[in-house]
Amino acid sequence: MIHIENLVKRYGSFVALDHLNLDIQEGEVFGLLGPNGSGKTTAINCLLALLKYDKGNITVFGRQMHPDSYDLKKDIGVVMQNVAVFEQMTVRENIDYFCGLYVRDRNERQKLVDEAIRFTGLEDYLKMRPKKLSGGLLRRLNIACGIVHKPRLIIMDEPTVAVDPQSRNRILEGILELNRQGSTIIYTSHYMEEVEQICSRIAIIDHGQVLATGTTEELKSMIKTGETITIETIHLGENELDGIRKLPHVFDLTYEDQVLKLRLSSAKHNLIRILNYLQEHDIAFGRVFSELPTLNDVFLEITGKELRD
Amino acid sequence: MFFLFKYRFLQTIREVSVMFWALAFPVILGTLFYFSFGSGIESTGEETWDTVKAAVIEEDDSSENAEAFHTFLKEASGKLLKLRWDATEAEALEMLDDGKITGIYYVKDTPSLTVGKNGLGESILTGILDSYNQNFALIQEIASTHPEQLPQAFEALNDYRQTTREETLGGQTLDPNVQYFFALIAYACLSGAFLGVRASFDTQADLSPLGARRSVTPTHKLKLVITDMTVLVLIHFINILILNVYISQVLGISLGDDLPSLILVDFMGSVIGVCMGLAFGSISKMSLSMKMGLSVALTLVPGFLAGLMFGNMKNLIELHCPVINRLNPAAVLSDAFYCLGIYNDMERFTRCLLILGAMSILLFITAFLGVRRESYDSI
Repeated sequence: MIHIENLVKRYGSFVALDHLNLDIQEGEVFGLLGPNGSGKTTAINCLLALLKYDKGNITVFGRQMHPDSYDLKKDIGVVMQNVAVFEQMTVRENIDYFCGLYVRDRNERQKLVDEAIRFTGLEDYLKMRPKKLSGGLLRRLNIACGIVHKPRLIIMDEPTVAVDPQSRNRILEGILELNRQGSTIIYTSHYMEEVEQICSRIAIIDHGQVLATGTTEELKSMIKTGETITIETIHLGENELDGIRKLPHVFDLTYEDQVLKLRLSSAKHNLIRILNYLQEHDIAFGRVFSELPTLNDVFLEITGKELRD
Repeated sequence: MFFLFKYRFLQTIREVSVMFWALAFPVILGTLFYFSFGSGIESTGEETWDTVKAAVIEEDDSSENAEAFHTFLKEASGKLLKLRWDATEAEALEMLDDGKITGIYYVKDTPSLTVGKNGLGESILTGILDSYNQNFALIQEIASTHPEQLPQAFEALNDYRQTTREETLGGQTLDPNVQYFFALIAYACLSGAFLGVRASFDTQADLSPLGARRSVTPTHKLKLVITDMTVLVLIHFINILILNVYISQVLGISLGDDLPSLILVDFMGSVIGVCMGLAFGSISKMSLSMKMGLSVALTLVPGFLAGLMFGNMKNLIELHCPVINRLNPAAVLSDAFYCLGIYNDMERFTRCLLILGAMSILLFITAFLGVRRESYDSI
């Protein structure tokens, strides 16, 4: 459905997109995961032909995307990172206005507006102006304006920023429902939990480059980390740390502020082996956590830095 | 198209801060002007002053000049000049001391005037005497040199008086304060820039998320831009008409009788104001608040140069650097209003309209080129 090939975008000497390549299939919920400033929004703006780019090729629905590709634009819905609605118009007027930019028939428009209002749960706020809405409701209005015309492709650029957990869950459920109704979704976020929860395929992006692409499982299987064990312990000497480091499957160890953090490759009984070692060497310990790898681990291993940094 | 028109209209008129600058502020300013100038302005637009009162002392003189002056004063007495013929000289001097009269005319071979102080009334009495003396001297000279042309001289004098009277009153008003109201309407026209700046922000993807969202829809950018401009010009035109009605009907300031021409200038002013804002809004990437702040200067500076704060400013510029008055849209607008209200000068009026038209076209092209872009180097 979308093909981005060798996309390069420079701002002076700064390279925002560095030969970015992406392929998105129809029916996917495709996640673009990366820290702030990694190039996600720039890539989306190039895809929408809002931004000029220096090099590369973008096709949408099999055709070249240009600023005046109005016939392509009618099948695309966009939910901007920043809320983009008219402050002076009510909730219903805003949704109706943005629907009207895509749909001319008045009756059809009314039907679509009613559906979008139901879908986003804004029935009780129709006559309110955006200023009176809470952050979560405002985001829902922003989404309603972007999806009201039932597009084939919906691009959501960090739609849950500054949203309370309840609204966030509702938004994420809504995105899955839109996908079930037939829309292909491109979802950008720096929240790995969200991406993991809803995306069928994910591209990890940093410094304008796609570092890895695949399903959550595929991405996790690409890395060495199979388990991360965290143990609270009062004092560990260099000898004890060396001993732990030499245990099977341990490939990374940090000890800071009385917290021992071990990264181990995937194997059975990793935790038991570690705890046995501590007992055998009379090392007192407190709480113990064992975690399976996350997308943050994937990002960490690929880039050497935390996604949250 | 109607759908786009309707929502843009609603959105704009609900934008309180923008409508304040575009409509409420000029109305408030007009009200302040009205109260500042006090009773100097009345419903006809003519400046009024109390009738000038004077006493006439006829000295025992049967000279030709004394008789002529006696007749002249009889004719001059009326609405403007109220003369008392029955007072003695002592009584007249006492009334002059008490301020009950402004001056005393002495009817004699060489007519004279006594006044108590300097002022407008005193100037009028002096002017009347000077006028008489000049005309009498003229007639005397003609009588001595070309007595056969005396009848024509009287006729010419009569014509001169008529012409003078017509030219002075032809523009319906003598009130110098009315120029402040013309400058105010001109300023109000330019304050359409606030509407233009605001709208340009909602149109360009590199300036606002709303601009970006509108840019990714299948509605042609040209259609959006033209709808916006049409709505803004219409709204601002209504604003200016409201201001005109307020000034002429509520404050009672006459803006002239040529209603179609007045409406035409209002329309041209609305176009130029909105285009100015759109052009300014689309050529830079400053924040909205910064642009709105600068728009205050963008409208007030031309207003100031057109005489909004200091009535004689436009005349000073005309004297020293007239090109500024030709290039300053507020001055051109003010001049167009002046042509309607004061001069009845259609040639000058047409020139003003042509200048406004040319400026509007230039600003429209600049604005359109600025907001029609669909793809940006950075967002």
